[in-house]
Amino acid sequence: MSDVPVLKGNTKRQRYESLVAALYQDVFRYAFWICKSKPMAEDLVQETFLRAWRSLESLQNDKAAKAWLFTILRRENARQYERYRPELVDIDGQSIAESDSNEPDSKMDRELLHNAINRLESEYREPLLLQVVGGFSGKEIAEILALNNNTVMTRLFRARSKLKTEFGLDTETDEES
Amino acid sequence: MDELEFRKRIYVNPRDLDDEILEAARANPDYQKIVDETLAFEDSLCSLIEGPETPEGLMAQLLSLPEKDELESETAAAASSNVSPIRARKQSFFQYYAMAASLILAVGIVFSLSVNSGPSSADIVFGNKLLAHLHHDIEEIDDITNGETYEVLGLDEVNSSMANAGTRLVSYSAAQQFDVRSAKPCEILPAYESAHLVLEGSHGAVSVIVINNSPVDVEFSIRDDRFNGIVVPMEQGNMILVGEMNEDLNQYTSLFSENVEWVI
Repeated sequence: MSDVPVLKGNTKRQRYESLVAALYQDVFRYAFWICKSKPMAEDLVQETFLRAWRSLESLQNDKAAKAWLFTILRRENARQYERYRPELVDIDGQSIAESDSNEPDSKMDRELLHNAINRLESEYREPLLLQVVGGFSGKEIAEILALNNNTVMTRLFRARSKLKTEFGLDTETDEES
Repeated sequence: MDELEFRKRIYVNPRDLDDEILEAARANPDYQKIVDETLAFEDSLCSLIEGPETPEGLMAQLLSLPEKDELESETAAAASSNVSPIRARKQSFFQYYAMAASLILAVGIVFSLSVNSGPSSADIVFGNKLLAHLHHDIEEIDDITNGETYEVLGLDEVNSSMANAGTRLVSYSAAQQFDVRSAKPCEILPAYESAHLVLEGSHGAVSVIVINNSPVDVEFSIRDDRFNGIVVPMEQGNMILVGEMNEDLNQYTSLFSENVEWVI
């Protein structure tokens, strides 16, 4: 189950501020991984929260706030993707460099893992990111991605299977599942 | 539980292992090794994915968005009210001109529709979007076509998804002639609420998409290298049936059109 932010306050402005405080970090991380660029992720997050502010009245259930924001972000990213598709590689080094560990082996592994995540097809990467960054359950991921629950479960399994295969910890099991 | 099943259940969510999994791991050192490796890998994965720090000042920027938005709205409103008389006359002229042009265009469209009952170019574009949507869901369609295990859904589950399109099946007796393997809301076009059922047809998966609006007014066929389909205008919306190239869709058309009730 994803975290349940409490939207405090009676006014629209107070509710918005509590929404930002509770969720902006998760929203930024998700944006960063799906658009693979820190500056673009910042723009995407700002656009997402601007749209959220304008339509805050439509958020009837506070418990669904995170899923609502992530859905707005996915739509906004799709809209921007249709308009502009830069050649992005600057994700490399960002999250790796921010690692606590400075050991070369650890850094190399993180870089390999980082590249492996980026090589995953989006149909596998998206549910994985929603689970890890958003903390969403399978059912919630199914609703956000408009998929059924079985498909989400299969994709989560395949995502991890593919990643582990790259590190020699598993054999490819796509065709078996 | 065999190893593949064991791995599947762990990989879906390594942070939420149930008692059965833990018990199986305790009873089998090989399984315990898989759990340990997976949890260690998951730690690295989560640490990396959750790693990026949020930019300094981002929160402050987000908190200031409402003020900027309100300021922009006020500026835009002031700009639109600050129009010179000459410009206003020009605008007025263009408004009448645009209205006349729109009227001529509307008459042309109505005349065109009454003379030509085939699909318009917009209908064809819509058909192409439908096919593209199916290819987006191709994994599930392939699974059902290949006989992968998907449970047969009951009437309540089907209607729960169809409610998204403002519809429901009023009788399942006719629909029980085939097995519905998947039912979910879908977003073919952002403006339309719709439901997507996938049933087991005679030659693989058959998609039935119901939309609570009427993007098209005439019945027409769609097809690509793999699929053939038919778009059917209904009482308050559209129904689209798409199956493999050799699937006979007529058998489903009447079954669904006679059993769908609009409850918008």
